Amino acid sequence: MSVYESPLREALILGDDKNYSKITDDIVRNTEGRPPLRWWIAFVISAATALFGVFCLAWTVWFGIGVWGLNKTVDWAWDITNFVWWIGIGHAGTLISAVLLLFRQKWRTGINRAAEAMTIFAVVCAGLFPIFHMGRVWMAFFIFPYPNTRGPLWVNFTSPLLWDVFAISTYFTVSLLFWYSGLMPDFATIRDRAKTARRKMIYNVLSFGWMGTAKQWQRFESLSLVLAGLSTPLVLSVHTIVSFDFATSVIPGWHTTIFPPYFVAGAIFSGFAMVQTLMLITRKLFSLEDYITPAHLESMNKVIVLTGSIVGVAYITELVIAWYSGYLYEQYAFYNRALGPYKWAYISMMTCNVLSPQVFWFKKIRTSVFWSFVLSIFVNVGMWFERFVIIVTSLHRDFLPSSWNYFTPTWVDMGIYVGTIGIFFTLFLLFARTFPVIAIAEVKAIFRSSSEVSRAQMSAPLDFSDVHHAEEHGHSGGGAHATVQHNKNFNEQ
Amino acid sequence: MKETKIWKGLPGFENQIEEQANSSEFGDMNVPALSGITESISADSNTGRRDFLKMLGFSLSAAALASCKMPIKKSIPYIFKPEDITPGMANYYASCYVEGGDYVSVLVKTREGRPIMIEGNQQSSLTNGGTSSQAIASLLNLYNTARFTGPKKAGADVSWTALDADITGQLKSISDAAGKIVLLTGTIISPTTKAAIANFKLKYPTAEHIQYDAISYDGILNANEKSFGLRAIPNYRFDQADLIVSVAADFLGTWISPGEFTSGYTSKRKVDSKNPSMSRHIQIESMFTLAGSNADKRIPVSVVEESLSVIALYNLIAAKAGVASVDNAEFSNKDIELTANELWKARGKSLFVCGINDVNTQLLVNGINNMLGNYNSTILWDRPSYQKQGNDAAVANMLANFANVKAVIMAECNPVYSFANGAKFGESLKNTLSIYLGERKNETSENCKYIAPTHNWLESWNDSEPKAGIIGTTQPAISPLFDTRQYGETILKWGGVNDTYYDYMHAYWQTTVLASQTKYATITTLWDNTIQDGEIVCNAPAMTITPNFTFMAEAAGKVKSASSKKGKTQLKLYEKVSIGNGLNADNPWLQEVPDPLSKVTWENYLVTGISDEKYFHNPDHKKFKVANVKVGAKTFSLPVYCMPGIPAGVFAMAYGYGRTITANEEFQRGFNAYSLLGTDLSNVTVTLTGEEVPLACTQIHHLLTHQGLGGMKTRHIIKETTLEDYKKNQASGNVIGEEEPRKEWIAEHLTTLYPGHTYNGHHWKMVIDLNSCTGCNACVVACNAENNVPVVGRDQVIRSREMHWLRIDKYYTGDEQNPQVTFQPMMCQHCDNAPCENVCPVAATNHSTEGINQMAYNRCIGTRYCANNCPYKVRRFNWYDYAGNDSFDKKYHTNNYTDSLGMQEPLVRMVLNPDVTVRSRGVIEKCSMCTQRIQAGKLEAKKAGEPLKDGAIKTACQSACTANAIQFGDYNNKESVVADLINNNERIFGVIEEIHTMPNVMYLTKIRNKEEIDEFNFTESLFD
Repeated sequence: MSVYESPLREALILGDDKNYSKITDDIVRNTEGRPPLRWWIAFVISAATALFGVFCLAWTVWFGIGVWGLNKTVDWAWDITNFVWWIGIGHAGTLISAVLLLFRQKWRTGINRAAEAMTIFAVVCAGLFPIFHMGRVWMAFFIFPYPNTRGPLWVNFTSPLLWDVFAISTYFTVSLLFWYSGLMPDFATIRDRAKTARRKMIYNVLSFGWMGTAKQWQRFESLSLVLAGLSTPLVLSVHTIVSFDFATSVIPGWHTTIFPPYFVAGAIFSGFAMVQTLMLITRKLFSLEDYITPAHLESMNKVIVLTGSIVGVAYITELVIAWYSGYLYEQYAFYNRALGPYKWAYISMMTCNVLSPQVFWFKKIRTSVFWSFVLSIFVNVGMWFERFVIIVTSLHRDFLPSSWNYFTPTWVDMGIYVGTIGIFFTLFLLFARTFPVIAIAEVKAIFRSSSEVSRAQMSAPLDFSDVHHAEEHGHSGGGAHATVQHNKNFNEQ
Repeated sequence: MKETKIWKGLPGFENQIEEQANSSEFGDMNVPALSGITESISADSNTGRRDFLKMLGFSLSAAALASCKMPIKKSIPYIFKPEDITPGMANYYASCYVEGGDYVSVLVKTREGRPIMIEGNQQSSLTNGGTSSQAIASLLNLYNTARFTGPKKAGADVSWTALDADITGQLKSISDAAGKIVLLTGTIISPTTKAAIANFKLKYPTAEHIQYDAISYDGILNANEKSFGLRAIPNYRFDQADLIVSVAADFLGTWISPGEFTSGYTSKRKVDSKNPSMSRHIQIESMFTLAGSNADKRIPVSVVEESLSVIALYNLIAAKAGVASVDNAEFSNKDIELTANELWKARGKSLFVCGINDVNTQLLVNGINNMLGNYNSTILWDRPSYQKQGNDAAVANMLANFANVKAVIMAECNPVYSFANGAKFGESLKNTLSIYLGERKNETSENCKYIAPTHNWLESWNDSEPKAGIIGTTQPAISPLFDTRQYGETILKWGGVNDTYYDYMHAYWQTTVLASQTKYATITTLWDNTIQDGEIVCNAPAMTITPNFTFMAEAAGKVKSASSKKGKTQLKLYEKVSIGNGLNADNPWLQEVPDPLSKVTWENYLVTGISDEKYFHNPDHKKFKVANVKVGAKTFSLPVYCMPGIPAGVFAMAYGYGRTITANEEFQRGFNAYSLLGTDLSNVTVTLTGEEVPLACTQIHHLLTHQGLGGMKTRHIIKETTLEDYKKNQASGNVIGEEEPRKEWIAEHLTTLYPGHTYNGHHWKMVIDLNSCTGCNACVVACNAENNVPVVGRDQVIRSREMHWLRIDKYYTGDEQNPQVTFQPMMCQHCDNAPCENVCPVAATNHSTEGINQMAYNRCIGTRYCANNCPYKVRRFNWYDYAGNDSFDKKYHTNNYTDSLGMQEPLVRMVLNPDVTVRSRGVIEKCSMCTQRIQAGKLEAKKAGEPLKDGAIKTACQSACTANAIQFGDYNNKESVVADLINNNERIFGVIEEIHTMPNVMYLTKIRNKEEIDEFNFTESLFD
């Protein structure tokens, strides 16, 4: 990336004592030594919640889906709400790592590793729901188009649920590859700092024996670009396909052509909110305030207010189109959504998703850590309600009033949901303890352009002593190589 | 033949196979592979690594396979096959379901000797192939776990010989000591049983036979005795009447002979282009009954006003007829006057019936019918009905002088439950020789010293005479399951006759029935043919009628004085269509079938109108307010159900609940209304307790109109018109969208680029006539029985998880204080463009080449996407292991699910239809259009080498329908009834055709015989 950057831009790496070595130290430190007490507390709570979720899943499989609150009219409720919610959260990772990489947004480097990890874990949580919402989960493999002796009997390629299988598995695979390939140089950094032979061996295996040679860096960069290119359409496709679960149906309130863009915007919205929540916790928990700065928060909050407004426009468009359609069932579905027995859910959704992010128009609020956290929670809650509103209020009163009904969740419904949050945080906490939570190599890549140190030097003549300093650390740090390599690529383009 | 080669390792094995295939052409049937392995190991014990691994893998997987094997249930083929029984082939036996005067002529379907289904007998002159929910559900009584397995004395098992000796000895000594013996039964319509009882009375001169009906018809019987000199019920001809006026008589649901009346009533209300006429029906009543919900005009009155309206009508008609009027009722209104005018206009072709059990009111009813000249026109005395014979006076007399009664023998009744003071009666039984001749344990049997268990009707021989000269026969469809004896035979035996009941009946027929008919000359032909047909119409006996209508003024005076002390709040006791008098309240099918109007299952409740908001319930949460009711000295509390069309101050409660002794406590909910008999119900106090409880309700009231974004619009789910409009335009009322005629709308809008299904063979379609459907629920129970539909129990119904494949939707239209009702049977619509089919990820639901939307249960993984995407919401998911296929816990009482049907019991499982898969947990199920019947019908035609005849295949719901509302057939057969209806009937429509589902189930518009159709402005937003 370019070395020069406008001094008007805020520094993305704070602290006037930073250098390459210090960066490595700050980040890798968290994976070394004993975890702090606050980590243990967080981990115990998360793991207990996760175990309760697993218990609720086992309860469901043992006794049947009857332990949920579903009924003859509302056959999906919390299960698919949670699925779409988690998938939406998983969206930010790809967007940050792929789209922002292609757009060369430097601020992504501080958060992309955690965001990608979040994507993986969110997709893991999301994937639980389509599996465990099946009445016969032990027959779940029927959903894959594998060669068989029954005819052969194929899956139904016209079913959006099948498209989901492909979309989500592709998304998961690509996200995992992207995340892992980015981790390799950083694993090597940890390896090189490792004090024990076992630790060295484990991280060596994890880093695939990364040597930091120029050839490796070149291939690394190419792979990043290829994966970014592959991922970018996925950002659009995954949630588009998830939205097809509803859009291709006949149920008023589901059968809507606006769903693909609306769902994608909503997914980015909720994903960024979750990244925000996580980053605010992480920077505090692991003392990474210098790397996840108010500038990062502000950039993300800008995305949140943009996507929140898109979502708001979509909500209003739905209402207008329902009125304009002149179609009784469509009109009733939206009338009922806003003013029916589930109006409390609709009001929650509108308040959290459309109204609350609008305060981010004020710079003071969008750069405030406290308000960012509060509002990110609001958006997370609001986006959960959006999926609940779409799924449950459309189903509970559709065509024949004779079948209209009401859905109330049971403790198992709630337990599984809370349990997935536990699983998510358990995985995230484990990740944060063992993996570099910030992409070391990538942060180093912007050190020369966007750190407070470089800003200070910006006025003074350029001094490359830092670079030499880094090189003295050997090939493992890799930051300087990356920077040089990158500059070269950039110049050639 | 080659010698078996010994080989080691794979290369050798492959060569071996090749050689074998080349040389021997399967000449050697020894499988070389297996013998090779064993020999290679044993021959030179040089077990190679590969062999070892193979053996290890094989034994491991074999062990694993063996451990997860399903338990095998061995079935043993017949050594000597019974002549009639071919495994896999159903046998049908003509028989009659008779229970306390209810009579349905049926065909019993048996498979491998087990009765599995009850269908209507088309040959019956009385029920015309119709059935009732109770008749079909009685199948489960055969397999009820509460049945007695043998005779008992004081709770201990005894042998029949010991029991007989013991009882005859005691009866003899009682009789000798001039002690009274009472034979207390429900109405008995069997001539043979009556002869047996007569014989019993000969042997024990002090014996008295007392009949009583749990729901008493004493009033109408006594009135007829006074008016005509005959204590019987006349032959009502609902099929002949142009105008039917009913005061509180639910003749389509519960009154006297609902099956027969439904058949007659609906036959007069079939409307088509050739015959655009139908009868008109006016109902005057307080509680909304099934008949009232089918009426063209319903006049809601309070409970007391029901009998006052009879006086009012009497006076109004008397004025026109020039007959002396009676004491003024001081009650009338415009609608009553209009009704009188209409009755007068239709005199001679009208029919006036009244369901009030009061002799004086019934005398006035007779007077009205007499003034209208309905006797010998719509009310005949040629074949009076014997279906109700109870005598309240005799019962009262017995109870008053119970000290003299030394022995009570009870059959076909449950007096401890259905007497007003049953508990006291139960206590007093302990001082007598009490003998119960019932099928299964109940409140009465618990209080009896001796139990001489009787057969279920499906195990019995019997005859029945519901109407003079119409005799039905009951024949066993299964050998007795337990050590039981038909109660007729028991009475014979105790009466000193040692014949079997069969012989006695045969002899009785030879002496009596043979002479009363002219169709058959010999007893052999008579017997064989009648048993085969199930019913014979003998000569109508000569009836001596002495009409006398002179008691009117006195009767009116008594009615008026009885009504004078009315209070503001009155209680009405009524009978529910399926639960009836409650003797079969321990039947899970009947309990789970929703009441036609309230749609509540499993319990009773207090019904009231919608004039007082304080009683309103929260429909979405199925929470109902509990009220305390004070009737005289008695108080009880029940949840309140608000139902439109019931006047302010009227509360109603159903009989048949509050049982205390049944197979399990699932059947013991609610309050026993019989305990209120004899108390003054015209002034009760109702106070809310502030408590709320859920009711297991399957349909919650909602609007067909809405005032949302698009303003007030109507969902054209049900379509209706008036007879006058229909005469002008046969397609009237058949509109879609913005009131556009359906036909044009369809032609204009429903076009597609995509190729549809092509049906080269059959194309099954169903047509349901909304004008004929009375909402009686027989089809729902028939579907349950035919398709092994699980019963899920009250808690699951509260959670809206009832499994019924076929439900009857109820819609109100018009004025909310006095709405009209339309019933719409709703099941899988078998859409040609089915939304469920394309969303199933594993193609478990798909379209057959004959137009049926079918389910492959084995393929279903239970994503429930199809159920969500079904616009008709007819798909049902197995939330739990309802069928008990693979439960680990025998008593599966967990997580709000109780096995109410008893599917864990091998006895109950005998009811399962072997042609229909019993679904496992986690799969979707729904109406299959009785695909097993279609298959069977096609096979029959194939075997006969003929094309399939229209009407040869009947679905279960169709065969159960008394009103003939359901037609099913092949649309590709242009001669078929359904093809004709769909192509040529302007009333045809599909439900929500706008969304282009192209349903294969079609409906015919409802036609009301009234001035103008009510707007769909009925709202129950009050409840929201």
